Amino acid sequence: MKWRIVRPEVHDAYMNMAIDEAVSEGIMDGSSPPTIRFYIWKPCAVSIGYFQGIRDEVNLDVCRELGVDCIRRWTGGGAVYHDYEGELTYSVIAPASMFPKNIIESYRLICGWIIRGLEHIGITAEFRPINDILVDNKKISGSAQTRRRGVLLQHGTLLYGLDLRIMFSVLNVSRQKISDKMIHSAEERVTCILKHCDVDKTAVCGALIEAFACGASKTNTENKEHEFGTWSEREIMRARELAEKKYKTDEWTYLR
Amino acid sequence: MIASTSQKVKEGKLVKVEVEYDGIIRRIKITGDFFLHPEDVLDRIEESMIGLGKDASIDTIASIIQGIAQAHDAQMIGIGPESLASVIRETLK
Repeated sequence: MKWRIVRPEVHDAYMNMAIDEAVSEGIMDGSSPPTIRFYIWKPCAVSIGYFQGIRDEVNLDVCRELGVDCIRRWTGGGAVYHDYEGELTYSVIAPASMFPKNIIESYRLICGWIIRGLEHIGITAEFRPINDILVDNKKISGSAQTRRRGVLLQHGTLLYGLDLRIMFSVLNVSRQKISDKMIHSAEERVTCILKHCDVDKTAVCGALIEAFACGASKTNTENKEHEFGTWSEREIMRARELAEKKYKTDEWTYLR
Repeated sequence: MIASTSQKVKEGKLVKVEVEYDGIIRRIKITGDFFLHPEDVLDRIEESMIGLGKDASIDTIASIIQGIAQAHDAQMIGIGPESLASVIRETLK
């Protein structure tokens, strides 16, 4: 069984998270291969960590006003604004046995693939445990991992462009508080690819795909090959079902 | 009464605890940007706190959390039994 790499796709928030879960289920029952996927979110969306209170983290009124979707992830971690233009997301879904048992080491391994991808476009980045990647001491990428029934799922965001004003209007900070001072302070903590390198998004995707393919081939597995692929009918049907019956429901969204 | 505490714990993540209690804990909600898998173990932890006396020590609370985590082979990242217990203890003051 080879790694499957799925080239960048565009989905809404519900399908994006549902695909991750459908593939995880497929790996559990042996019907899906270890998978690396890249994707963007249309409409733009906020995802919150499994344990976060949505009302604590997200300004739901502003999201409604701007047409930004809100979704609870299956993984822990913090709230992320997924901008259609300014962000790229990846997922790695594979048997946990292919990765270090130590969680931080497995973050380090997969984040290493992103770091190598950034190197390809001339950006030097470093892993900062638990789950961040920094450039010049500023966060450019954050990831979240879970393991369930022997399957590792890690997904994460890579900032390409940055619109802090929108980010802070949807991530529960009142409009009055989006002062210049706060924007300035966030700019000191967060960065994006375009601040370091004038490169188009397609080139970034290419660099990441190459780095992930190379990294995956070196993980602890007997199957060191990869091929580009897409979803099976079964995966996409299950993902649609999960999107409708789980991720779009208020019961899930307002779980905490 | 209802009380809540938000704290960045020593393992690195933010933990918020909201508790409704009188002599004992009636309801508790734990939220934050930490990692814990399997994720539903947090529900078990919350359930285990219901009925606990409001004066329970950090050690008592931590050992209950630790017991549940071990029973479910759970992994806590960015949070630990003692630091979660400490935020719960703080909220009950």
